[in-house]
Amino acid sequence: MTDETRHIILKIAKKCLLLLLLLVVMDLVYRFTLYPRDRERYCSLLEFPQIPIRDTADIIYLGESSEFSCSPTDTDRRSIGTMIGDMMPDHKMGCLSKGAVHAAIYYDILRNIPRDNPVKTVIVTVNMRSFSSEWIYSNLEQPLQKEQIMMKKAPALYKRMLLAFKAYVHWSEAERSKLVRKGFRRQTFTLPHPFPYHNASEWDHAIANSFQLYNGKQVSGDTVELACHYIKCFAYQLDDKNPRIKDSDKIVRLCQRRGWRLVFNILADNMDQIKTLAGPDLEYLMQENAQYIIQRYEPMGVIVVNNQYSVREEDFFETFVTEHYNQRGRRNIAEKVAEKLNDHYSQVINH
Amino acid sequence: MLFNSIEFLIFFPIVTILFYLLPSRYRWIMLLGASCFFYMWFIPKYILILLITIAIDYTAGILIERWADDVSKKKACLIISIISTCSVLFIFKYLNFCSANYVALAQHFGWSHPGKVLQIALPIGLSFHTFQSLSYVIEVYRGTQKAEHHFGYYSLYVMFYPQLVTGPIERPQNLLRQLHEEKALQYDNIANGLRLILFGLFLKMVVADNLGQYVDQVYANPMDFNTLDISLAMLFYSFQIYGDFFGYSTIALGCALCMGFTLIDNFKAPYQAGSIQEFWRRWHISLSTWFRDYLYIPLGGNRVAVPRWALNTIIVFTVCGIWHGANWTFMIWGFAYGLLLIVERGLRNIHVFDRIENGTGRRIINLLNIFKTFLIVTLLWSIFRATSFANLHDLFAAWAHNVSLPHQLHVDAVTWIALGIFIVLDLILKQRRFDNWCGQLNPYLRWAIYSVMIFAVIALSSVQHYPFIYFQF
Repeated sequence: MTDETRHIILKIAKKCLLLLLLLVVMDLVYRFTLYPRDRERYCSLLEFPQIPIRDTADIIYLGESSEFSCSPTDTDRRSIGTMIGDMMPDHKMGCLSKGAVHAAIYYDILRNIPRDNPVKTVIVTVNMRSFSSEWIYSNLEQPLQKEQIMMKKAPALYKRMLLAFKAYVHWSEAERSKLVRKGFRRQTFTLPHPFPYHNASEWDHAIANSFQLYNGKQVSGDTVELACHYIKCFAYQLDDKNPRIKDSDKIVRLCQRRGWRLVFNILADNMDQIKTLAGPDLEYLMQENAQYIIQRYEPMGVIVVNNQYSVREEDFFETFVTEHYNQRGRRNIAEKVAEKLNDHYSQVINH
Repeated sequence: MLFNSIEFLIFFPIVTILFYLLPSRYRWIMLLGASCFFYMWFIPKYILILLITIAIDYTAGILIERWADDVSKKKACLIISIISTCSVLFIFKYLNFCSANYVALAQHFGWSHPGKVLQIALPIGLSFHTFQSLSYVIEVYRGTQKAEHHFGYYSLYVMFYPQLVTGPIERPQNLLRQLHEEKALQYDNIANGLRLILFGLFLKMVVADNLGQYVDQVYANPMDFNTLDISLAMLFYSFQIYGDFFGYSTIALGCALCMGFTLIDNFKAPYQAGSIQEFWRRWHISLSTWFRDYLYIPLGGNRVAVPRWALNTIIVFTVCGIWHGANWTFMIWGFAYGLLLIVERGLRNIHVFDRIENGTGRRIINLLNIFKTFLIVTLLWSIFRATSFANLHDLFAAWAHNVSLPHQLHVDAVTWIALGIFIVLDLILKQRRFDNWCGQLNPYLRWAIYSVMIFAVIALSSVQHYPFIYFQF
């Protein structure tokens, strides 16, 4: 290395140091000026970890849209979490919910709960649709990832830089559709008997093109669309490669470290309609997947409440694939969770 | 890979450091590898299309040189090369458009037709590297450039990562020559290069992307907005596209300069042009000079009778429009510029203001000319931005009729300030480059400018993802 080169490198290094110093100052300026505005704009979840502290909640319920969706005819508009809380009067319940969230977001919320918290039990909603490609590559993933960035434990300016330089998924609609389609092809499964389709994509196409249900019944376009939607959302076989399973594993490890009792609440799906539209094969796959969750997590000390069949068709108030229940549906789920928790707390449920 | 991405913030210093660490004779390998990596970050398989173009024009260059004395063979080789390269461009860029128009036409007249519109995805930057590749073959044919016998260097000329995706469209006399040169580490190159990158990021992330959110809102549903909102959106789009493209070109220049390469300046204060002709001398210079040298002049340029010149102008600008995109709106946009240039030349003979030669009067006339040109350009950008004729119709219909609708477009202070800074900087810089201007400032002022720009890029940029507008071309 020549003297001149050494001189140039030294000069650049000095400027880099100066830049670093400036960045520290900028971080301070940003933290006290624009950061509160950005937090409000891009991270509604950031306050969530503080709620258990504020409310001195010893049980927290983490949920998605099933938690706050009510039928227009409901007279009791309490959420599932609130109902569980009311059934366990000796405990204080904190409910944290946001639409379309999934295990990765739950993990970030839990991770950010301060050390000095009163939490003893964490109930995490397990929406079986969240394991499918449609949800993994959902267009709601982008805002959620922005929220995840803002929830990082890092300097404020660094987090804003990650947002500015788009360190989140930013698929175009065409790219996203392609990923979803590719994902459906990767949603493979094996049934205990010969079955003509090997993945969700093949199954979906067969039904969509034939306008015939599994039993050969000819149906209208709307019914076919609904049947196909169920297939795309639930025709998969869980394994440890699924990103949501990896996130759930992280939640388990975190709760073990923090000494929290963890409850996985497998949400109800419209099994009556699924049986009618997609047949026993999809029902079998769904049962298998629920069993996978139970068998994977119960040995790890997690309480798994399987609510898959807890809500009947008439208690789903929407005509498309959702986990939105009326008050009876929500109450059924809450009761099962409270009962299971009761076994552990040895406490009378207040019906 | 996008210039305004985290990946690029890691990629760029690694490539630049490796460039200087490696001995000169191995640098091309690293740069070529890095360029492939940069391109494949988008959609890996499209590199094969790029390789086809490279292979065709590399072979054509050598054959043209070999048959330098045999005019017919040389010409045949050039024609084959142009047709093959343009065919690739046609298939990927224009076949969908042609098939869609054919299907629409067939449906209209009730012809029997296959009934399916083709859906072929456009490889990023195809128009740019196709033109760069063509300029090499044409220059070799003209004898102004020696054929490149080293496949690696030729590939690097087409694929050089800073300008691979959105130009500037380089000429072999400039870039190919530099690729063979030994580049030593120079402080000024690094400093100027980084200044350009920072300025480019500011233009793209703070100015263009913040304006983009309002433009998108209006163009998505023009009927919901009033005349003032639509006028604002049109104005904003003028600065969005300028900030976006100028930003990309500036970052490209900066990245190349950090490694000691000088690329063509693509912009010279285009919105300060006093006429349409001048505007095209200052806007996307590498493209306008390409069309001038390889289409306009071969067609006869302005050394022909006026009607022929007018036809040439219309042809060149219509092709320029189509180059931008396979859509009738682009074609009309280009055609309109052709017509305007003809009108402008016609009006040049009317000497209304010739008596006013100096002083305030002349300055006012110059200002009026700049304002007139800017208005025309802004109006034409609305054709360019519209997604279809229906969208364009809605935009102008709403503009004309929605006078009394309530004001809907609420622009935040950050966007106004960013736009203000951009306009002031553009006026200060005139035709100078940011790095040269900034380098001459007092160090305290210079670092104050860096600080403001860095802070703005990080804390005031839009968090929405807006791809570079010219990526689609």
